[in-house]
Amino acid sequence: MYPFGSIPENLAAFCAFLRREHRFTIDVRQLRDAARALDVVTVTDERAVRDALRPVLASTFRDASAFDTAFVQFFFPGPAGAPQVALPRPHRDVGGPTDAEKELKSEPGERARDHERPEIPTPGALSSLETAAQTDTSAPPATALGRYSPIDAEAQSRPELTPVDRAWRDAARVLVRRVHLGLARRWRPAPSGQRFDLRRTLRASLHTVGEPLVVRWLRRRKQSPRFVVIVDGSRSMADAAATALDMTVAIASVSMHVEAFTFSTGLQRITEQVRLAAAGQPLRLGRMRYAWGGGTAIGPCLREFLRRFGDRLLGRETTVIIASDGLDVGDVIVLRDAIREIRRRSAAVIWLNPLLDTAGYEPTASGMTIARPYITTFASVCDPPALARLARTMRPGVSP
Amino acid sequence: MIDAAVIRDRFRDRGFIVDEAFATALQLALALEKPLLIEGPAGVGKTESAKVLSDVLDTRLIRLQCYEGLDSLSALYEWNYPRQMLHARLTEADGSTLEQREAQIFSEKFLLKRPLLEAITQEQRPVLLVDEVDRADEAFEAFLLEVLGEWQVTIPELGTIRAQHRPAVILTSNRTRELSDALRRRCLFLWLPYPSLEREIEILHARVPGLSGRLAQQIAQLMQLLRGLPLQKAPGVAESLDWALALMSLHRDHLDAATVEQTIGCVLKVHEDRAVLDAHRQQMMPIVADSPGRVELGGYGLDTDFGIGSVTTPRR
Repeated sequence: MYPFGSIPENLAAFCAFLRREHRFTIDVRQLRDAARALDVVTVTDERAVRDALRPVLASTFRDASAFDTAFVQFFFPGPAGAPQVALPRPHRDVGGPTDAEKELKSEPGERARDHERPEIPTPGALSSLETAAQTDTSAPPATALGRYSPIDAEAQSRPELTPVDRAWRDAARVLVRRVHLGLARRWRPAPSGQRFDLRRTLRASLHTVGEPLVVRWLRRRKQSPRFVVIVDGSRSMADAAATALDMTVAIASVSMHVEAFTFSTGLQRITEQVRLAAAGQPLRLGRMRYAWGGGTAIGPCLREFLRRFGDRLLGRETTVIIASDGLDVGDVIVLRDAIREIRRRSAAVIWLNPLLDTAGYEPTASGMTIARPYITTFASVCDPPALARLARTMRPGVSP
Repeated sequence: MIDAAVIRDRFRDRGFIVDEAFATALQLALALEKPLLIEGPAGVGKTESAKVLSDVLDTRLIRLQCYEGLDSLSALYEWNYPRQMLHARLTEADGSTLEQREAQIFSEKFLLKRPLLEAITQEQRPVLLVDEVDRADEAFEAFLLEVLGEWQVTIPELGTIRAQHRPAVILTSNRTRELSDALRRRCLFLWLPYPSLEREIEILHARVPGLSGRLAQQIAQLMQLLRGLPLQKAPGVAESLDWALALMSLHRDHLDAATVEQTIGCVLKVHEDRAVLDAHRQQMMPIVADSPGRVELGGYGLDTDFGIGSVTTPRR
């Protein structure tokens, strides 16, 4: 049996391989289920084994997409059609069968607890979304032409995220409080409220021999806003991007519902790093590839954001903040379609343009002209008082 | 134990074409008694698969449709309070003790079973469909996790009710939000993509008997084309079937440009998508039978987008 001696050894080594190479999160329960699944199908049929292991070990779309490739990499590493017996056996430590055997034999509850323990994120650790973002094939190709292009240059600098001071946090708190999204649809029990709760009143009356002495009410809670901050990290924003990142960290320090991205000619998610900075840990962002220090392709990057994150992040509770000077080199039609779609699917779009502070500036660049009809609030934030001013321009009780 | 090949055949008999991976996932879900989480774009047959599975197993389908604001009581059980009150009033003078009356009032007679409780109290193993679980709140997801893990429900007045037979559970999600890792780990996972050209033709023939081979081919080819365009709402298999049925009712045995223009509303459900198709008409022309020049697809152009800022459009 290839590459290791027995089915349990192979299975455990394969799981270790999936975890290490493809970032699967497989716990001991799934490993046990995988072993049971192999009891159900014919193990001599490669396709049946693959079809049986996929639903057990892959738990997301990303996992399912990578599974077949990983299966072939692990079990059929040679050229197509080469018999397994002719392949060299991998060194035992690559798949970790020794660890794997321990895993299969160890106490299930103990292993499960180990896996359910939340991982402490490190600056270099990538979430699945971020991994997807970095491995995405839509990123500009790193060809020789690309390296010398003034637009597609790969980032050399690594922006820094630093914890923000109290002034930033206070201004961000004002912003979060001013964004009211109305009431949730769900009616919840409350001591007082807008709607009489017949069911709970009758239920309570059973304790008083059927006499409804205690009246119960229902009310709808306020919705919590979610912020998506998209920071333009292109060269033209070199001076203002750091302020935009400070603002992002400030918002993340007062709200749990924040997602952050940077873009230049490619998009990158930096939410985890922003959260760490908001928690007081200064750090320098990792390899930014095409999301920092290059040209500006706002339209394609926003379209990319919509394609990959739109379904999960946009909604009627989401306020999208775009920090960019709008000096786009891409197709303005792409920008128009993307910004219109973002506006359609979110509560508000706030566009922060640092050039607004420049005397005599008019937003006549093609990118700004085409985007403005879909922008709810157009402003500039260069410091905490400016953020507080922006928040105050929003009328309380309504979305911006 | 039901084999994957048997599942495929029985699904095919009912007009539902499944591939080996899908059949194996269903086989494992039944054999391992684990919930099967099916994700995929809208209209690829996620919900329908649960209906067909219940038919294949000749058992009851119990459906829990999730929505924002769904709470545990709506999914589990409620007491029939008006009936309890009435009973309490009517038996006030029958001489029974307080304990006796309480036991009567809080008996199964007055219990309104909601889908989850209904599913675990069936004599025969049912199919429980938890549809669009991504639309429910995270709090409900955590509650669901508990029920799916323990298969027992504690009703304070009655005690703990354990499942006599674990239901075959199918959860569906359109990925409007990410489900928790904890829920995912407790389920088998299946990604159901759009079908390939050949499989879509097979599905069309299976679900729309009498459809001409040429028309099925054209519909499937156009669907493949449309799914490759940057549409806001890409058409699923459900739209293919609707379109095929519409064309059958119009007595068409093939597609031409004029017919596409007349019936494209069966497929494209978002106004802007028509403009996208219009821009890619050249790619469509080789598929349709005759192409008499430019075909106006009708509707409003993108320039007259009156909806922004004044009309709320539903979330995708």
